[in-house]
Amino acid sequence: MSATTSITNSAPALEIASLGFRYPSGFELKLPSLTLAAGEEMLLVGHSGCGKSTLLQLIAGLLDPMRGSIRVGGTDIHALRGAARDRFRGQSIGMVFQTFNLLQGFSARENVLIALLMSDLPKSDAAARAESLLRSLGIERLDALAEELSVGQQQRVAIARALACRPTLVLADEPTASLDPENALNAVRVLRDACRDEGAALLIVSHDPALESHFARRERLEPCRETAATRTEGGAR
Amino acid sequence: MSDLSIVLRSLRVRALSTSIVIALVAISAGLLLAILSLRSAGQSAFERGTGNAHLLVSRDGSPLVSVLNGIFYANPPKAPIDAAKLEEIRSSFPWSMFIPMAVGDSYRSFPVVATAPDFFTKFEPVSGEPWIFAEGRPFERNFEIVLGSGVARETGLRMGAKLLVTHGSGKSREGVDEHAHVHDEYEFTVVGILAPTGSPHDRALFSDLESSWILHAHDRFEREGTHKTVTAADLTEADRVVTGVLMRLPSRDPAAAPPALVSQYDRLRRDGSITVAIPANEVQRLFDIVSSIDVLFVAMAIATLISSGAAILLSMVNSMNERRRQVAILRVLGASRTRIFWLVLTESTLVGLVGAATGVVLCAIVLFSATTWLREAHGIVISPELDARSAVLVAMGTTFLAAIAGIVPSIQAYRTSVARNLRPIG
Repeated sequence: MSATTSITNSAPALEIASLGFRYPSGFELKLPSLTLAAGEEMLLVGHSGCGKSTLLQLIAGLLDPMRGSIRVGGTDIHALRGAARDRFRGQSIGMVFQTFNLLQGFSARENVLIALLMSDLPKSDAAARAESLLRSLGIERLDALAEELSVGQQQRVAIARALACRPTLVLADEPTASLDPENALNAVRVLRDACRDEGAALLIVSHDPALESHFARRERLEPCRETAATRTEGGAR
Repeated sequence: MSDLSIVLRSLRVRALSTSIVIALVAISAGLLLAILSLRSAGQSAFERGTGNAHLLVSRDGSPLVSVLNGIFYANPPKAPIDAAKLEEIRSSFPWSMFIPMAVGDSYRSFPVVATAPDFFTKFEPVSGEPWIFAEGRPFERNFEIVLGSGVARETGLRMGAKLLVTHGSGKSREGVDEHAHVHDEYEFTVVGILAPTGSPHDRALFSDLESSWILHAHDRFEREGTHKTVTAADLTEADRVVTGVLMRLPSRDPAAAPPALVSQYDRLRRDGSITVAIPANEVQRLFDIVSSIDVLFVAMAIATLISSGAAILLSMVNSMNERRRQVAILRVLGASRTRIFWLVLTESTLVGLVGAATGVVLCAIVLFSATTWLREAHGIVISPELDARSAVLVAMGTTFLAAIAGIVPSIQAYRTSVARNLRPIG
């Protein structure tokens, strides 16, 4: 399969077709199809252990599917190999984690700059980009170390880092799991607003039912060997 | 922000363990460098003292003993060279320097060297470094004596001081050896004090040959039952003996051995009644003998250095648990496995490089302090200069060793599973 790293603006942010993945334990994840248009946002819900995080890692190219394809911005990420796939991931996919996964010992600014550095994007406007993103998300202490920031601030730094490279797609893995209900909704609002501002599609996976009413498009990942995304609204394609 | 700044920050996050490992590497590299520097300084110290003499003639048992006795003043030579033989050697070649010496007496265990005035004008204790008088002047008359810098410092003798010399190497009356024979009939006056040379000559006293001959002629008269004040006029040919001769061949290049040296050496060696030594060669032989001990020290220092490499390895492997998460985050952000490998390898290499550089600086400070202390406290002039080539080699070797030590953690980082290490902690 020939691969291209060029991203077509008209291409969907995410296209999954006939996806199949099986862990050594026998757990199997199947997803016949899922499409996310450019700039679209979607909530993927499901119980713990149903394969939500696995799906995100497959989309990010951190795991290889046994069958099927995943295209991000029109590019089949699994057709890319080695450093090319890593570079593509860095440039086209932003990830936000439950525990934020900021680099300890690095400042808020540096955590964002590292994303720009690792993706090999031009460095000329990196500092300005990092600063404007952080300030737009309400982070004023740009040089405070990650561990010195409040939980809410850390999450916003994580969002800024995910958006730093102007990705096609942002994947958020249980972004509210560490937060109380009030802060959880606020955090999701910040994430959605930021993605909208940057024109990035957003796929949130969560087992938090409180989020469901806030998303127009929701999917459920079933916890079974023959897993399928069942459209509840908007539908899986 | 660059890959290097990520590495530096990563090291700073683990500041304590990083500092300890760097200190360990610095001490190991500094120790190795210090031993190498002291080793070359030791050789240099051995070479100092032979000065600009091409040949040394004596009647010692071997050339090495001849140099030990004639230049390092290890023991008084037992067999003298008589005046006739001395003249025969002197007239056999147009020597550019011919300095007879008689070593046998002492002052408070310091050897008294009876020699010719040329000793201060033609002989250089260290090649290219003529004598410098810290005070006074060379001896000009009988029973005037010049002190080496070490003697002046340790005995406290000053200009104009009077002293008696002892026959042999026993202590004088100020010392403890009651059996020493003190030449108390003739008093020497200190007329000069030499500046330090960093050679064995710093621990000697120098007087003229005739005074030495008079002392021993006096003893001879005493043994014969004649009690008189002996003067130069009373000396016979039998009294005019020496224990060694420092010689130099004419040479256009003061630093190079002249082509005629080997032929003159061979010619003199054919005379079975004398022992001929090329001091520089004998010193090299002597150093070769003692250098086997140096090899042991160098080996120990290298072993220490290798153990510091192991410390780098252990420190980095131990930190892999916290590092795995960092690696996984960087991978998610777009870093390739190869880039991660190099980041970790750069980290260990940097630890080695900083450790080596610190070691070089540490070594330079210690050597400078030790050199200053030895000179000021003991008047010992050694120059354990930091050899630039050794410093570069040690620094490169240490850095290379650190890089080797970093390979295992780099491979671990390369193989880190991103999926497994991004899970929430706890």
